[in-house]
Amino acid sequence: MLSVEYFDVECPEALGGEYYKQIANDVLLDQNLLKVVNKLHIFIDPKIPVFIAVGVLNKITTVVRVGDFANVNPQEGKMTLVISEETYLAPMLKIFWERFGKEKVEQPDRFTVILYNVPAQPKEIEEIVVADPSVSLHKDLIYALRCIAPEGFRLRSETFTGSKFLFVASENTLAEDISTLVREKFALMGEVPP
Amino acid sequence: MTLVPVTYKGGIYQHDIVIDLIEDLGGYIVQKHIIAADVVLQCFVPREDIELIRQISKPLFGEVTDSPLVGTEIAVVSMSLEIHHLPHPSCDIAEYVRRNGAKSNMVSLARGPGKRIAGLNDEERDVINEHDIAVYLMGNFETCIEYKMPTLRRGIEVPIVLCGGPAIEVLRKIIDPPVEGYVGNVGRFMRRTKEADQLDKLDEIVAEVTRVLEEKRDSIAKDPLSVSPARLMGLINEKVPEILDVTSPTPLTVQMAGLRVKLPYDTFAEKMRKIEIEDGITLGDVAEVLPSRMRDYILVKILPFSETNTVV
Repeated sequence: MLSVEYFDVECPEALGGEYYKQIANDVLLDQNLLKVVNKLHIFIDPKIPVFIAVGVLNKITTVVRVGDFANVNPQEGKMTLVISEETYLAPMLKIFWERFGKEKVEQPDRFTVILYNVPAQPKEIEEIVVADPSVSLHKDLIYALRCIAPEGFRLRSETFTGSKFLFVASENTLAEDISTLVREKFALMGEVPP
Repeated sequence: MTLVPVTYKGGIYQHDIVIDLIEDLGGYIVQKHIIAADVVLQCFVPREDIELIRQISKPLFGEVTDSPLVGTEIAVVSMSLEIHHLPHPSCDIAEYVRRNGAKSNMVSLARGPGKRIAGLNDEERDVINEHDIAVYLMGNFETCIEYKMPTLRRGIEVPIVLCGGPAIEVLRKIIDPPVEGYVGNVGRFMRRTKEADQLDKLDEIVAEVTRVLEEKRDSIAKDPLSVSPARLMGLINEKVPEILDVTSPTPLTVQMAGLRVKLPYDTFAEKMRKIEIEDGITLGDVAEVLPSRMRDYILVKILPFSETNTVV
């Protein structure tokens, strides 16, 4: 967890807390979220029982453009795009079909897309925004926190606003004063709740 | 003649010599796997003839190893089928005991996770009881294990090996009445077991399962079975040809004191009971043929000598 500024798991059972620290690390690593999370504090008390995860996110400003993963080679009457990474191929094709029509877009193999007589310059094609990772960020983070939380804790309350998030889960009805506990956990990181 | 469980590994070339030898010596082949050009035989062979099998299979580059888990069916009880418990650690453990010769089934509970909400229904209880042993894979918190274990073990009659996150001493302290085996420091984790220390942990689980099964074997030996399960397997294979059409990897699963026959109960139960073993003694005389809670399979439970007064 090198890129995370603050990371701690608080638990009355020391060994259980250690395991959960490892689980949180593994899940965030698997989901590719380590770069996104700036601060994370997890509190688990199996006696109540309650699971609280509070944290701060890094700002994601970058969007993925065609030029980031494809080379655009202009030729006479057509443009050949050589794809280096397939992740964003499907959304890119969808945008091309909508903008230029299916008859002008051809994909002879997995890593090549050819555009015929499209009314756009190569530079414009390279600048087309294909995906915005920050859109699915909250969804990914909720999934990751659900994986980290003990499975039986199915009553959840989540708040994701801007760069801060809180995730509370329990198998019993959440206590009315849970926000006090959440505020305490944010204070441990030197932050205030959203 | 004492039959001991062993695994034979060797090339496919001339492996039928080894199969014939084992059968001629009075042994039984429980499972045969052909993997590419290799053959793995899980079998019961007479203790005094192991050296002979080693000698004969030496030119074929075959090796014979002890596999105490051969001929056992183990229930690996996972708290749920969610990503929290699968594929690690549940599948890792189920697969590892399988490598050691056991037939493992994963039993996943419908309401296993949580603390207060955890429960065990009658179908799950009956399915677990059809196995030789149950390996319970619990979570990381001693509070939860202590709270939910009485519920999850209610009605379970087979020996239990409990795996959980807390240390083994803690597990021993919190489980009352005690279960048969404990393995500590192996709770919920979200990574593949491939490092040396993780594999040691899996070995520890296998060792504990083996120890508990040996105890069960000893208690069975005090009142021996009327017929050996491996012998029954051979007989059913011979006399019920329909079993050869079953596509399941183990159409006949050998257990320590019985067999699971993967044929429909309604159609085949009567036929099973009438199979003659020797001198007019039928299978129905020395064993109970019961419907299994697992699909529509048949469960054959062999009766001990004290109940039948016969040993065949």
